[in-house]
Amino acid sequence: MSVNGNVRTGVYICHCGVNIAQTVDVEAVREFAARQPGVAVARDYRFMCSDPGQEMIREDINQLGLNRVVVAACSPQMHELTFRRACENAGLNRYLFQMANIREQCSWIHDDRKAATRKAEALVGAAIRRVAWHQPLLPRVEAMNPNVLVVGGGIAGIQAALELAEGAGEVYLVERQSTIGGQMAKFDKTFPTLDCASCILTPKMVSVSHRKNIRLLTLSEVTAVEGYVGNFTVTVRQRARYVTDKCTSCGDCTKVCPVHVPNWFDELRSQRTAIHKAFPQAVPNTYVIDKQERPPCKEACPIGQEAAGYVALIRAGKFEQAIRLVRSKNPLPVICGRVCYHPCETECNRGFVDKPVAIQHLKRFLTDWEMTHEYDIQPPQPSERHSEPVAVIGAGPAGLTCAHDLALRGYPVTVFEALPAPGGMLAVGIPEYRLPKRLLNFEIDYIRRMGVQILTDRRFGRDFTLEDLERQGFKAVFIAIGAHQGLPLGVPGEEARGVFQGTAFLARTALGIPQPLGPRVAVIGGGNTAIDCARTALRSGATEVSILYRRSRGEMPALPEEIADAEAEGVSIVYLTAPVEVLSRDGRVSGLRCVRMELGEPDASGRRRPIPVPGSEFELEFSSVIVAIGQRPGTDALASALEGIALARDGAIQVNAETLETTRKGVFAGGDACLGPATVIAAMGMGKRAAEAIAKYLRGEPLRDFTTHMVQPRYRRGESFRPHSYAPLYRDIERAERVPMRKLPGEERKHDFREVELGYSEEEAMREASRCLNCGVCVECMECVRVCEPKAVDHGMKDETVQLKVGQILVASGYRTFDASRMVQYGYGLYPNVLSALEFERMLSATGPTGGRIQLANGSEPRAVAIVHCVGSRDENHHRYCSRVCCMYALKFAHLVKDRTRAEVYNFYIDMRAFGKGYEEFYSRVLDEGMNVIRGKVAEVVRASWSQQEEGALLVRCEDTLIGRFREIPVDMVVLCNAIEPQADVEAVRRLFGLSRSPDGFFLERHPKLDPVATSTDGVFVAGCAQGPKDIPDTVAQASAAAARMLGNIARGSVEIDPVRAEVDEKLCGGCRLCNTLCPYHAIEYSEQDNVSRINPAVCKGCGTCVAACPAGAITGFGFSQQQVEAELEGLLAV
Amino acid sequence: MEYLYYPGCSLESSGRAYDESLRAVFKALGVGLKELADWNCCGATIYMSVDEAASVAISARNLAIAEGDGARDLIAPCSACYTVLLKTNRFLKESPELKAKVDHLLKQAGLSYNLSVNVRHPLDVLVNDIGVEVIALSAQRSLEGMRFAPYYGCQIVRPERGFDDCEFPVAMDRLFERLGAEPVYYPLRTRCCGGMLMTTFPEVALHLVDELLSCAAENGAACIVTTCPMCQVNLEAYQKRINSKLKRAHRMPVLFFTQLLGLALGCSERSLGLHRSLEPLTVTAGAAAGHGGQA
Repeated sequence: MSVNGNVRTGVYICHCGVNIAQTVDVEAVREFAARQPGVAVARDYRFMCSDPGQEMIREDINQLGLNRVVVAACSPQMHELTFRRACENAGLNRYLFQMANIREQCSWIHDDRKAATRKAEALVGAAIRRVAWHQPLLPRVEAMNPNVLVVGGGIAGIQAALELAEGAGEVYLVERQSTIGGQMAKFDKTFPTLDCASCILTPKMVSVSHRKNIRLLTLSEVTAVEGYVGNFTVTVRQRARYVTDKCTSCGDCTKVCPVHVPNWFDELRSQRTAIHKAFPQAVPNTYVIDKQERPPCKEACPIGQEAAGYVALIRAGKFEQAIRLVRSKNPLPVICGRVCYHPCETECNRGFVDKPVAIQHLKRFLTDWEMTHEYDIQPPQPSERHSEPVAVIGAGPAGLTCAHDLALRGYPVTVFEALPAPGGMLAVGIPEYRLPKRLLNFEIDYIRRMGVQILTDRRFGRDFTLEDLERQGFKAVFIAIGAHQGLPLGVPGEEARGVFQGTAFLARTALGIPQPLGPRVAVIGGGNTAIDCARTALRSGATEVSILYRRSRGEMPALPEEIADAEAEGVSIVYLTAPVEVLSRDGRVSGLRCVRMELGEPDASGRRRPIPVPGSEFELEFSSVIVAIGQRPGTDALASALEGIALARDGAIQVNAETLETTRKGVFAGGDACLGPATVIAAMGMGKRAAEAIAKYLRGEPLRDFTTHMVQPRYRRGESFRPHSYAPLYRDIERAERVPMRKLPGEERKHDFREVELGYSEEEAMREASRCLNCGVCVECMECVRVCEPKAVDHGMKDETVQLKVGQILVASGYRTFDASRMVQYGYGLYPNVLSALEFERMLSATGPTGGRIQLANGSEPRAVAIVHCVGSRDENHHRYCSRVCCMYALKFAHLVKDRTRAEVYNFYIDMRAFGKGYEEFYSRVLDEGMNVIRGKVAEVVRASWSQQEEGALLVRCEDTLIGRFREIPVDMVVLCNAIEPQADVEAVRRLFGLSRSPDGFFLERHPKLDPVATSTDGVFVAGCAQGPKDIPDTVAQASAAAARMLGNIARGSVEIDPVRAEVDEKLCGGCRLCNTLCPYHAIEYSEQDNVSRINPAVCKGCGTCVAACPAGAITGFGFSQQQVEAELEGLLAV
Repeated sequence: MEYLYYPGCSLESSGRAYDESLRAVFKALGVGLKELADWNCCGATIYMSVDEAASVAISARNLAIAEGDGARDLIAPCSACYTVLLKTNRFLKESPELKAKVDHLLKQAGLSYNLSVNVRHPLDVLVNDIGVEVIALSAQRSLEGMRFAPYYGCQIVRPERGFDDCEFPVAMDRLFERLGAEPVYYPLRTRCCGGMLMTTFPEVALHLVDELLSCAAENGAACIVTTCPMCQVNLEAYQKRINSKLKRAHRMPVLFFTQLLGLALGCSERSLGLHRSLEPLTVTAGAAAGHGGQA
């Protein structure tokens, strides 16, 4: 061959002792090789990989001027690198070498000497022809960032981090849970020495927290990894802890937290509070608040009231803290507790189980309690004072709330109210029997005590204008004049005496002005106002009250409980009826001519449109008619006063939905004046938002980034979800009746204005509050904030994202255990005294749910304990592999049971694996202690006596293979040795770091014997159970090995990137981008500018996929060129 | 809805009550049952170990006829027929060589089979196709007060993995609970009844049956409800022998599940073959009770 100049090849045939020479005639192969073109020398030798063998190659290169080398021996996976280095040491580029495998691929698999020799000749011939086409390649050298990332804070991650810290730059230790320690922190004692796990682990954990160059990120997960070895950029998401590091770990907060959920650290067998520390020696030592979803009650409330919080406090009997929590957000809790339309209850997740929690009644209970106890409700003092006065027009709920919030922020507020008494609709809309006026005065008094001035009998437009306010020095105005103007019926005869507007009727009743109604009253309308009018009419002397509504009951907008209360008092409701004319006698109402309606297609409100039925007219006698068919803001009369302020067609004041600004600078508006007739709580929500907006406006800040609440739409999930991750599904939660609200009897109460609802007793309130499901775990009751002396609790903390630059990554993400309930025959989850291994560890631990005492579910000591090996391991149906540690910890359990109880212990094993240092000795010792060992896989665990009535005893049924008998052994407790399996998200983690998995599911090491810590991705290492089940000594060894490897790379300062990779010939590339998506390592990028694809040489691993796929043949794989491969084929076929 | 129906030989002899009650139940639910034309033995014999290809071909003949009839589902009530037919399907699917041989044999009979027939157990069809709720709507009487032991036998859920858990099937429990009955604690629900051993090694089989009967009785069952004619015969017909040999006092009614279901659906006792029971179930108005129990 005259290719590549003068090729001088040295060929070396290895005997490999007898491994090759026994089957292949190495002499013959050598002779064959010597005859091949370009071969300068051919030798055979017993062990080419040995020192003399390698020396032989080196000498030949120097003496004979070889420029190519072929070694025919074992697999390149074994010794390719060895021989490449040998060539390099002699001055020849390592890539001018080719290895032929005549062992694994020839001598080891064939018996026929003649055929094997011929095959070996073909393989050697192929290598000789190929190597002639090899080019010298130079590896790339990249700088190595000395920082490292360790993923997983178990013993593997901790050990590695401590060792890495000795030589690396920054060591970032990322851990998903709130503490490091991993599974080992849950153990009681460890085998075979019976060291206490915490005693040996916690000093290391503390070291981690003290080392200056270890940065511990708990509650964190890696979300993205970019870059390549030496230069990774890792994105980590750190969840909020809600407790700062001012925490002194005193534990006062856990004493007051009202929420209890199952404790994951104790394998869900004990309870812990929402604010907690995973275990006493947790590192970091800071507490953490478990917050899952935002409770739907808080989300639905227009003012974001912490309903779940005060409900939890009521359940705990802490009424004072509860009412304080309520008042921290809500200036009118007495009112809301009685009249709110409770959107919180509509969204309450308890509704999926049975009925929503009676949040409104509970709030009312708190305000009742407040008023009857010697409890001094002082309004909070503002933290700062401002001088700019603000005017609020209208002392209804919107105006009062806005005034309250502004006063809290330190602004002087004056409220101008048109009526003689403040309260708006609260005073003149809602009747006395629903909201006693003395309670309203109590509420308003609270606001007055904050320094808010309320001036009555001041009508906007008549007594003052916006210009007047400006002249008086007010720097901002909030208009909240409500929607008091009733809509007229629009039928002939309406002007007769005895026809009243509903709102006017209620107002005059509230103000004590007498209105003669006569005996028979008709109320037209179907909303809450109509119901209020009807029930007020009954109490004002009418004997028969009828509500006429033009649709059917299902479409009535009034609250169902209100409708029911009205009917209980004897109000009759006539559906599908509307008046068409008011009949009068001597100018006074005598009756109504009505027409029947039927329901047609839905209208804009979504309700079916009422259509009059022709020819169905009839007459009814009435002495008065009250019209309550709707309201609008009274802005018509204020046309000139509202100059510059845009109004909608129905008279509502138009405002910006976020900032509540009107079209006039410095003037804001809210409540019914903008919404039309709406609700108290919606008006309050707008009042709060307006206060925040006005405060920003006065400080000259931009009007955005509001913290006050605006209700977000929520996606409701059904019965097959759970309130939070530890709770059962909604449909599995036990039902409990909602505590009913006691009311005055219907017949009795309709004659006076006494309050109808009587309120909850303390016992009723606590009982109802216990139905709350604690959706989202932490209910934000703020008790922890109250008791924390160092003020370390911060509920406003947010999740953070950080970007880390590291050179190498160690994945030590650990394991989880097999879910034993998948093996139904062992009864895990069915019988109470069948435990998993980790549950038993927690039972043994002094910090566990029983404080280290081994006991049955009923508290008594077991008489016999069975320990079942291989649950989920060595099992074709689940995992075929052996979990390696179970035999030893089963022996440990046996020893501890015998140590702490008088129980008999039975170990059911298949093989006893006691392979490590001190393990066999431990096995002997435990046997001597009198443990029973039975060789045979357990078939099933059943209740000992067939009859269901007797509780407790279990029967283990198995085959004793050593005596060949079937046995049934009665025991009290069964401990299952569950298999170690990969974590639940192993596949996602795999993709994140570019790893592979072995068939058993764990991460794949580069070589099971010779390279257990590296992976196929350069720069990413693996250690611990993430790579396969192993005990603590092996885990520590592997973690140390990984750390040493990584430190070696750091010490070298640079990393060599293998030049066996692909490259795009840009002249040939047509920009089709087919290769971009095919690359499994995401190494190919496309340049829009140049319309070519380019391969990142640092990331490319030379797999060849793109080389094969490129339709233009534009990609070359170095070391695998067309000529090289064709030459190799030639050689194979030549023999 | 109509299904193709493969009774099997047992249902024409000792298991006649199963056939009668199955037909009655399907009729009461308005679901059609059409008997497979010219069906032959399913192959649940030892011939499989003598000549596999011939045995599978004999079995597959039924499936070929079913396929030719245009059916997708073939109901096989006997657990052994069910298992063997499923196994035939699986063998033919997994082994092309075997299929080639069987195709050759079938062709000589003018038949062919393309693996398109699903073999179903009637319990599967009732609980999963028709549905427990629909059955409950058709119920004429409640089974309240009936405490029964659900005995599935070993072949219905394994080795061919099918419609229920192989260690702890609950299809009958669900069905009858919905109809008001109460399944007792019965951990032996998939335990072997001895099968053919009752004829060849009776000393073994009688012990197995004794355990099954004792467990049911101790847990307060009024009857055992089963899905397999072999199990039914083993559990019912040898109680006197067990009583004399092992000094027991078993008097346990053993029903086919279709018989109990038929009672709930209002079928007459005669149409359900209840007159063939060796140990009769005492049926009282509204509830059902029996003599079950060990003295």
